[in-house]
Amino acid sequence: MNDVVVTVRGATRTYNEETIPVHALRGVDLEVHRGDFISLAGPSGSGKSTLLNLIGGLDQADEGDVIVDQVSLSELNENQLSDLRLEKIGFVFQAYNLLPVLTAEENVGFVMQLQGMSKTERSERARETLASVGLEDLADRRPGDMSGGQQQRVAIARAIATKPVLLLADEPSANLDSGTTEELLQLLKKLNEEFGMTIVTATHDPMVMAYTSRKINLRDGAIVVST
Amino acid sequence: MPITLLAQLSLRNIVRHRRRNLMLLMAIAVAVLTVLMANTVIRGMQYDLREQTVSNLNGHIKVHAPGYLDDPSIARGFELAAGWEPKINVSEVEGWAARIRIPAVIMSERETRGIQFVGIDPAQESISFLSKAHYDGQPLNTSSDRRIIIGKEMADQLETQVGRRLVIITQGSDGLNREAGFRIAGVYDTEGTAIEKIFVFTGVTALQNMVDAIVVTEVSVRLVDDAFQLSMLDSLLRFFADLEVKTWQQLEPLAAAFFLFAESAIYLYFFIIMTALIFGLVNTLVTSVMERVHELGMLRAVGMRPGAVVMQVVIESTFIMMIGVALGLTLGWLIFQLLPPVLDLSSFSEGFEKFGMPAKIHLRLHVSDMVLITVMSMVFGVLASLYPAKRAVKISPLEALRL
Repeated sequence: MNDVVVTVRGATRTYNEETIPVHALRGVDLEVHRGDFISLAGPSGSGKSTLLNLIGGLDQADEGDVIVDQVSLSELNENQLSDLRLEKIGFVFQAYNLLPVLTAEENVGFVMQLQGMSKTERSERARETLASVGLEDLADRRPGDMSGGQQQRVAIARAIATKPVLLLADEPSANLDSGTTEELLQLLKKLNEEFGMTIVTATHDPMVMAYTSRKINLRDGAIVVST
Repeated sequence: MPITLLAQLSLRNIVRHRRRNLMLLMAIAVAVLTVLMANTVIRGMQYDLREQTVSNLNGHIKVHAPGYLDDPSIARGFELAAGWEPKINVSEVEGWAARIRIPAVIMSERETRGIQFVGIDPAQESISFLSKAHYDGQPLNTSSDRRIIIGKEMADQLETQVGRRLVIITQGSDGLNREAGFRIAGVYDTEGTAIEKIFVFTGVTALQNMVDAIVVTEVSVRLVDDAFQLSMLDSLLRFFADLEVKTWQQLEPLAAAFFLFAESAIYLYFFIIMTALIFGLVNTLVTSVMERVHELGMLRAVGMRPGAVVMQVVIESTFIMMIGVALGLTLGWLIFQLLPPVLDLSSFSEGFEKFGMPAKIHLRLHVSDMVLITVMSMVFGVLASLYPAKRAVKISPLEALRL
C-alpha cells in the first residue's frame, strides 16, 4: 500500500482580483502521509486555505499538480472531482455547513446516501458515528436546536462516517470557545491516533497547532517552515 | 442519482419556507382553477355548437345528388326504394332521415318571406332539433300530414298563428311554379332564431305530391358517437356511389373551423395564464436558490454532482407545481359539481343568437383536459426551474462556501 495520501508538486494559484493579480500559492511542494495530522498555519492571505482547497479538489492549481490517493486532480472533470470528494475526502468547515432541514442523523447520513448506501446501513453507521463524537442523544435534533460545538461535532461525524482516506478541516475552531475547541481537538486526535485517519487542517489557532503532529507554516504563498 | 435524498431535501425546503410557498401554491391553484373553469365553458360552447350543427338537419353525414348544394331544387332530387336505409355499421347509427328541402316563398295576409320548405317523415326526425323543440300547437303527425309547422320568429314576421292558413309557392319537377295553401299545425321554438326564420316543415309525401316527384333531396344519418364518422363516411361513399356524401364539417365549414379553433383556444388560454404564472415561479425559485447558495455549495463540496443539484431544484419546482395543480384541479372539480349543468346566458341571448350561438351552454369537464392541464403544468414547472437550477450550479462550490 502506498504510504503517500497527498502529493502537491509545484502548485501555483493566482487569483485575478480586479486588475491586481494575487499570488495565493507560489510553487508549493508537499507530501501528506497516511496517518499524518498536519496543521497548515500562517497569517491571513498566506495561502493555507488555498492549499487546503487544492488538496480537496475544490479549486484547481494554475500550474503544478495535486495527487490524492494516486489520482491526479488536474485530469478530472467536474463530475469526477465530485465523485473523488464523495468517496475519498471528508470536509469539516469553519461554519459547520449542516443542512438545517435535516436532523443530526440525517446530516451524517446524507453523504452515505449520496454514495448509494442502503437506509438501514447508513442509519446504523450514522448513529455509531454520532456516538463516537458523543452525540448519540442528539441524533433527532436539527442544527438550529444545537450549540456551535455540537454542530461542529455533527459536521465531523458527517465527514468521517464514510471512512474517507483524508479529512480536511478549514479553521474548525474559528467559531468555538476554548473549552469546546479542546474537546474538538481531542476528538480529532483520537480519530488520528486510534483509527489512523489522515487529517489536514488549516488554522491560525496555536491551540490547534499544538495538537498536530506536523506543522507547516506558510507565508506569501510558500512553505517557510515544515516540522 | 440519489432521487430519494433529492426529493427529501426538496420537500423539506418547501416546508421550510412554508409561507412563501403557500402563496405560490395558491397562485398556481387559482391559475389552474381559472384554466379549468374556462375549459368547461369553451368545451361546452364547442360541443353545443357541434350538437346544434348536427341537429340542424345536417346529421353527422348527409347525402345529396351531385350539384344540389349549388342548385338546391327538386330537379336535383333522387329516388329511394322502399326499405332504403342501408344496413351498414348498424350499431354506430342513431337514426336516418330522408327529406325534401327546396327553396320556396311563403305568404300570409300581411307579409311574404323566402324560406326553405322541408318535407319530413316525423317518425325519422328524432335525429334533428325537431324532436327537442317546444311547440305552440302540434308537431306533424305523419309523412303525409298536409299541414305545416313554422318557426316562432317566422310566425312573428308573418304576423300569423296556429290554425291560420299560409300560401307557399315553389317550383315543381316540371320547372313550373306550384302554389298551395297550408294550415299551421304548430309553431316551433328552438335555440337560435336563424332556424326559426328559415325552415318550414310539412309531410314529405305531401310535398312530393305538390312538386309531382317521388324523390328526396337529402338523406341524413346521425351517429351514436362522433368517433364513428370516418368509418361511416367510408361505407356511405361506397353505398351511395353516384351521390355526394359529405360530413357536417364539409357542409358547415365555419362551425367546423370554430370547433377546431376552440381546441386551440384551450391551449392558448392555458399558455397565457401559465406564462404569467411562470414568472412568479421563476422568481420564487431564484430567491429560494440564492438564499441557499452556501448550502448548495456545501452539497457540491462534499460530493454532490452538479447534475444532482440541478435535479434538486427541478424536483422542488415539480413538487410545488404538483401540489398546486392537484389543489386547483380538486377545487375546479368541486366547483364544477356545484354549478348547474347548464350555464344560462339568456339575458345576453340576442347577442349570442346573432352569432348563431345557443344562449345556454352545457358545461363540460373532460378528464382528458384535466390530464392535459396536469401534464402541461408539469412541463411548465420543469422549464421554470431550469434557469434557477442553472444559476445554482454556475457558482463554483468554493465561491458558494465563501458567500
